[in-house]
Amino acid sequence: MSGRHEPTPDDPVVAIYRRALPQVYGYLLPRCGSAAVAEDLSAETFMAAVAANSREDPPELSVAWLIGVARHKLVDHWRRVGREARGFAVSGAGDDGVDDPWADHLDAEAAYAALARLSPYQRAALTLRYLDGLPVGEVASFLGRSVHATETLLVRAKAALRRVYQEGEGS
Amino acid sequence: MSDPLDHLRLPVIPIEPRPDFAAALLRRIQQLEDPAAGRGATVRYFVDDLDAAVDYYREVLGFEQELRPSPVFAMLYRGDLRLLLSVPGEPHAMPDGTLPEPGGWNRISLNVPDLDATVADLRGRGARFRNEITVGVGVRQVLVLDPAGNLVELFEPLAAYHERQRPTGP
Repeated sequence: MSGRHEPTPDDPVVAIYRRALPQVYGYLLPRCGSAAVAEDLSAETFMAAVAANSREDPPELSVAWLIGVARHKLVDHWRRVGREARGFAVSGAGDDGVDDPWADHLDAEAAYAALARLSPYQRAALTLRYLDGLPVGEVASFLGRSVHATETLLVRAKAALRRVYQEGEGS
Repeated sequence: MSDPLDHLRLPVIPIEPRPDFAAALLRRIQQLEDPAAGRGATVRYFVDDLDAAVDYYREVLGFEQELRPSPVFAMLYRGDLRLLLSVPGEPHAMPDGTLPEPGGWNRISLNVPDLDATVADLRGRGARFRNEITVGVGVRQVLVLDPAGNLVELFEPLAAYHERQRPTGP
């Protein structure tokens, strides 16, 4: 008797789901570092797709579009979570060019670990700019800030990353 | 001069999430996208032995199992009727600590094509009946008990039977 629900042209999110879920989850998991968070944000991403699909002028549903939504959900998540680094003061200028820890070799795994200890906006800016490879203008629009403010944020974020990364190297 | 942090570039590599999570999320999406969703009713029955109850509803009353995520909960379907079976426990406790129990006089009511044949068949399978077949409003009906003591009414429409007709077609 009919009970199983087969995807039809009326269910575009269902139709793309099997192919798209591992991509969305694969985007989120290494960036947020937690399976539970990656699951929650994946669910939010697909719920947003269903909502968008029910509107007057629905977007073209694609894996790329879903990753874009996932990216927004990730940034929103970091904003909600708040400051993660314990007692970590954001330093301004003064670190440029001195003792550059990645002049010789950048340990990516150590850098990802250091990223997790930065404040949410710094983590978001560096993730979008370097892990995702987005140009600064796009990073700015995801963060809802001006290009100038984003460039300043990136400078500070890189300095903070360098400091945490070096602390990690010492231990 | 290239930026050394470009080495952090992390392309999207597909990762399969937990199968349970993937299946549950798919069901949520299907329910939201299914225009027929929300037409059926949901009823919850409390049971003491979940395995016995699920076996009974599936094998004796023809329900389909939809979900069985834990030892204290199952979701079954019979057409548009969704039947939830729960073992009483802390999540169901009232503010004063009172727990629900199986049984009581309220019941779900199932339309069967031939009541006499159905009753004979169920008796043969060992089902317990609370009463004999009686005539109700527009129906002949009987009460059968599930293993936990919940009542299920089986009825067969008579000439005077009434049910609101659902609109059909596109």
